[in-house]
Amino acid sequence: MDLETVKEQSGPREFGPADEMPREYREAATRMIQFHANSEIMGAYIERPFIRQAPSLDRKLAVSAQVQDEVGHGQLLYRAAEELGIKTREEMLDELASGEGKFLNCFHYPLDDWYELPMIMFFVDGAAMRRQATLKRTSWEPYAHAIDKICFEEGFHIKHGEDILRTIATGSRRDRQRLQEAFEKWWPRILQFFGPTDDDSTHGGFATDVGLKTMSNDDLRNAFLNAYVPKAEKYGLELPEYPRVEYHADDDYYEVYEEDLDWEEFFTVAKNEHPTGAGQIDKRRRTQKAVEWVRDAIESPDTTGVSPAAADD
Amino acid sequence: MTLEGPGDLDDRERAAVEAELRCLGDDEFVTAERYTEWQVRGPTLESDIAVANIAQDELGHARLWYDLLEGFGHDQVDLIWERDPAEFRHATLVERPYEAGDWADPVLRGYLYDTYERLRVEALSESAYAPIADRVEKALGEEEYHREHAHNWLERLCEDAEGRRRVQAALDRLFPHALTLFAPTDREEAVVDTGVRPVPLSELRREWRNVVTPFLGSLGLEVPVADHAELLPAARGRDGDHTDAWESLYNEFTFTYEQLGRESAPALMPEPGEADADV
Repeated sequence: MDLETVKEQSGPREFGPADEMPREYREAATRMIQFHANSEIMGAYIERPFIRQAPSLDRKLAVSAQVQDEVGHGQLLYRAAEELGIKTREEMLDELASGEGKFLNCFHYPLDDWYELPMIMFFVDGAAMRRQATLKRTSWEPYAHAIDKICFEEGFHIKHGEDILRTIATGSRRDRQRLQEAFEKWWPRILQFFGPTDDDSTHGGFATDVGLKTMSNDDLRNAFLNAYVPKAEKYGLELPEYPRVEYHADDDYYEVYEEDLDWEEFFTVAKNEHPTGAGQIDKRRRTQKAVEWVRDAIESPDTTGVSPAAADD
Repeated sequence: MTLEGPGDLDDRERAAVEAELRCLGDDEFVTAERYTEWQVRGPTLESDIAVANIAQDELGHARLWYDLLEGFGHDQVDLIWERDPAEFRHATLVERPYEAGDWADPVLRGYLYDTYERLRVEALSESAYAPIADRVEKALGEEEYHREHAHNWLERLCEDAEGRRRVQAALDRLFPHALTLFAPTDREEAVVDTGVRPVPLSELRREWRNVVTPFLGSLGLEVPVADHAELLPAARGRDGDHTDAWESLYNEFTFTYEQLGRESAPALMPEPGEADADV
């Protein structure tokens, strides 16, 4: 299939492994799905310490299940990406560990404590949900299929995140203060979640033309703000003065003053060069290296001296 | 005679039931706590998912036993979050820390623990205390999968020279701690004579050694043969005496509870990012 035909025929779940897709399409889809898969894994890295630090059995179970789901999402997405024939899962995981693989800006910042957890589990996951919901209509069918399951499970995560948020927001005055501090620290990163305005977006145009992407970053950011600014207010959180976010009632539109956001940091993060993000990648690299012997042992066992003499049962 | 609930128990029986439940609940809780360290750190995405499943099952079992303790007027706060660390009754096996990347450890530890758990819980199916006997089936249901997981991994690792070397090292290190699973509490005599658990721990230990020694031997491993009295570590867990790893683990898992509940975060707590000894 040539590119013109792809653009013409593109529609929700239109293409799959049986179609001969042009290389440009397969590369663009791989880049997008790999980014998503990497983000699931690195999101799990951010949340994992809170399995241990959860303050009740129910929370501990829920955070453990959530981290597990994210790894499961990574697994599904790598599979969907693999079917494009550009990279294997192993190659993508190696790229993640080596610092070549890219992932969402918010997962470059480890969380300091429990007060920050709802910033990820509610706001960032909520933002992710906005984007993912539109991907049910992406043109690469295996991706859309993975998204169905992901959206279903993410719905529970956000509910749990909201419950954590509610508990803290209805706690002591000190709890509410700590929550507000966490919110102010995270809010600019959350606004940057959807990237720069469309004009600056590098790959958006092509991905939209071939139906991989179904909604622009600006529209997604706006849909997110429409839903989540009122929720933040509901829990007593105040939007900081900067970055300025202005609501235009006439068009039901939130204007984000982009010049108030630190785009230099954003692009450093995007290159995996921000120190905290580099630290997260380094953790991934070290944990993977530490278990490399297991993969070696099961893939190409060295059977010298291994003679289970008593193996007669 | 069947004891239907807390109201049917005299003081000695009640102390016996509580002692048994604390060993069961604490073992499960601490086992799960350690397992979760492997989430997103296992050798494959599939093993990350499997280990999370097992950890959640064990947490569910902890709740099964803690719920029965709630029947005696306890609640989760005094059972876990505000309990003095020296009042926990888990075996030292389950609190030992993992070395980064030492996948042989959770696999072997899981095998030793799950084999023990099956024997102890099966013995409880005959418990004179009905609420315990009623929960046996639920606790055993998921253990089959855990043992299968551990068996498969042990077999695969032991087919490789380096893998077997690592499993052997874990076995040498963990076997003495595994024997603390069978260490008695000060209520052991009452537990047995009241029929709360009709089979004594010494008998369960004998059965356990009869299962694990030949299986591990068949994988080419050398299993300690000495008498348990010679092998047992100094800290036994069941008497409240724990290894040094326990205090730091306790401080980590109570960190947020303390932080949320007090006027200011307690000093000398580990930084959250390092709190779980991230590699």
